[in-house]
Amino acid sequence: MVLGVVLAACAAGVDENASGKSGAAPKELRLAIGGESEDGYDPTLGWGRYGSPLFQSTLLARDADLNIVNDLATKHSVSADGLVWTVDIRTDAKFSDGKPVTTDDVAYTFTTAGRSGGLTDVTALAKAVAVDNDTVELHLKRPQSTFVNRLVSLGIVPKHAHGKDYARKPIGSGPFTFVQWDEGQQLIVQRNENYYGTEPVFERVVFTFTSEDASLAAAKAGQASMAAVPSSLAKTTVSGMKVVPVKSVDNRGVMFPYVADTGKKTAEGLPIGNNVTSDKAIRQAINQAVDRQALVDGVLEGFGSPATGPVDGLPWYEPSSAINGNDPSKAKQLLDAAGWRDNGGVREKAGVKAAFTLLYPADDTIRQGLALSVADMVKPIGIQITAKGVSWDVIDKRLHADAVLFGWGSHDPTEMYNLYSSTQAGIEYWNTGYYSNPIVQENLETALSATDQAEATKYWKAAQHDADGNGFGPSADAAWAWLVNLQHTYFVSDCLDIGKPQIEPHGHGWPITAGITGWRWTC
Amino acid sequence: MALDLLSTTTEEAPPTRTLRRQRLLTALATRLIRLVLLLTAVAVASFALMSASPVDPVDAYVGGDIAAIGPEQRAQIAERWGLDDPPVERFGHWLGQIVRGDLGQSHTFNQPVVDVIANKFLTSLALMAVAWCLSGLIGFTLGLIAGVRRGRWADRVITWWAYTLASAPTFWVGLLLLYIFSVSLQWTPICCAVPVGTVASDVGLLDRLHHLLLPALTLSLVGIAPVVLHTRQATAVAMSSDYVAFARAQGERTLGLVVHRVLRNAAGPALLLQFSSLGELFGGSVLAEQVFSYPGLGAATTAAALGQDVPLLLAITLFTTVFVYSGNQLGDLLHTWLDPRTRRLEAAR
Repeated sequence: MVLGVVLAACAAGVDENASGKSGAAPKELRLAIGGESEDGYDPTLGWGRYGSPLFQSTLLARDADLNIVNDLATKHSVSADGLVWTVDIRTDAKFSDGKPVTTDDVAYTFTTAGRSGGLTDVTALAKAVAVDNDTVELHLKRPQSTFVNRLVSLGIVPKHAHGKDYARKPIGSGPFTFVQWDEGQQLIVQRNENYYGTEPVFERVVFTFTSEDASLAAAKAGQASMAAVPSSLAKTTVSGMKVVPVKSVDNRGVMFPYVADTGKKTAEGLPIGNNVTSDKAIRQAINQAVDRQALVDGVLEGFGSPATGPVDGLPWYEPSSAINGNDPSKAKQLLDAAGWRDNGGVREKAGVKAAFTLLYPADDTIRQGLALSVADMVKPIGIQITAKGVSWDVIDKRLHADAVLFGWGSHDPTEMYNLYSSTQAGIEYWNTGYYSNPIVQENLETALSATDQAEATKYWKAAQHDADGNGFGPSADAAWAWLVNLQHTYFVSDCLDIGKPQIEPHGHGWPITAGITGWRWTC
Repeated sequence: MALDLLSTTTEEAPPTRTLRRQRLLTALATRLIRLVLLLTAVAVASFALMSASPVDPVDAYVGGDIAAIGPEQRAQIAERWGLDDPPVERFGHWLGQIVRGDLGQSHTFNQPVVDVIANKFLTSLALMAVAWCLSGLIGFTLGLIAGVRRGRWADRVITWWAYTLASAPTFWVGLLLLYIFSVSLQWTPICCAVPVGTVASDVGLLDRLHHLLLPALTLSLVGIAPVVLHTRQATAVAMSSDYVAFARAQGERTLGLVVHRVLRNAAGPALLLQFSSLGELFGGSVLAEQVFSYPGLGAATTAAALGQDVPLLLAITLFTTVFVYSGNQLGDLLHTWLDPRTRRLEAAR
């Protein structure tokens, strides 16, 4: 038995004299999943924005099915006008320096994050007030149901210890405490004995920040129990390890300019509109004709799934918005009915050829593969797509007039709002196609200002496809042709059970640690 | 005094001590002025290049989080970094800071630039110093052997090897070594400058050397080939000279010949090359550090460039300029000292 444990520990590249408290589990776990936060571990600057800040705890959390559960909060409620969020917090939580977590700390964290120019957007917050020793009020400038994601992702920092050095020496009330960070190399963390939640099995976790090649090399040499690899490397075999593909909403799709080209320009003088993609029949036909499973098999080498919308698999996804499978004959019918007549292989309507350009960033091989394949797939139905690899610089100038192959994916429905709301038309990379539909817009606004998450979810779904058949999804307005969701691939030691991982957002690596307190050693 | 001045114009008479010191000071001042001019030009050029770059620093920082960052937040980020001002004003502000001895704050690392450079350079310095010594020693020895044995099999093997090395990319060699020694044989670590999972206080000198070995070896390969080939040439020339032929005729053995007659001649070009290769050494370290996850200045440069971290990138550029310039000047001085003929040449000019 002892020998077995030692052998298993050796095989997994963990400390040989390890014998954790929980019997067979090794003392130390080594993960090569990348995701180093170069500017440190300060949540008010954006650390932990995927919802697992490790050192700090958050008010709320998302479980494996992405449902919202309490963490530091014991309950929360939103005022009828949606402007005041009241959060009750537990009083038994302690920071790793032994001081209790107070409502002052919570208010301080939100206020600071709202003012700092970091990677977590808390600009909706007007002020945060500690009402009494277990209640905090967060006052918003405007109702925003998606603010719940800040409660899920913003780690609470101690007011008394949050100074200039904090990012490099974080203190928090999360499951692990900070031991050492060798920048560019590794992060060593230790189980937090003061943690109020489930105690992690592993006493120590070491994250190594190696390149993908080196991560794979470490896995092969038995020096890591988990390694994140690009899917192109996932076909290799590593003894003692299995490939774990994790679902994600890291998606790729074709954005269509939604309005016709009327010569209108943006404030910066960029052209808007496209006379081909502004036709609903064209957009729907492309959505019908594209064989998404073939894209998954061919371009992603099987590590992915067909995408039917921007939020596949998330709680606010509406299945009726999807087009399942592909049907080129139906696509042809749609085009015929809309008056697009065949003219030497490429259809034409009122002198306009069914031809347009699809831009993709030239250095991205996956997007290149997708763009070229889509162009091939729509050729038989009489649509001519010219796939063109360019720099982001060029895309920035053409993104309102040409179709673009974009990638998105977030646990925050704000993204869905940004992509389809007419208020976001022409802002950043959001609604670049100037999509607008008053009914969809109303559903999006109602969802955003809802005071109850279930209510919000209902309207997020309706925006994709409602009872009357309106929506931005492929089955209605077909504002985009979503193609694939990537899978993130990890080599995981045969002895490590990581349970059911969450559907991951855009960004490989760190999100896998969301369930780390539940990981078990099975050898 | 007048007589002294006159006498310096002739080659044989050595200059007086005061004059020599004066000359040294003038030379030093010239070199310093040149350095300052060079630094100014480099700073202006790099800043202009970075301003013209199509990469938006806020976009680069936001990266994959673009979905969640609104215009208001972007404005906050730009404000925190002082990106709102026009480029000329920003450059002026930056220059003023530099003059006051403040290099600014790095966006990427959320730390003063001075700290970033100090931390990373110390790590890089160990790597580069070991690699530099290794390439110099190995290259010089092999070059000597090849030069003495010109045309024989040892020469052919060494020359072939040098040409192969000269055409092999550093990162590829690095990956190959990594695969052989770390993955297959498991003699050396896969990554990092310290053992994985070990707390800093438990890391010994041997651990550090163990982690340094493979990256240093990889990096040293960059500099070996030119040293080998130039040393070989210089040695060959010396070996076929009249004075060596004369010494040989007097019965001196090859080893003695090399040590007494050839070494000094061959060392000149090798040293000059070695010092002027500091730039390449720096470039090579970027790649070697990437392959071995060695957290030095090379890796920091990549991060700064990708993130449009202007203060850090500018500081690294200036730092590298000083580093390479000093190397070249040192090489120049040593070469002159080793090979009196170059001194006479300069006097003749």
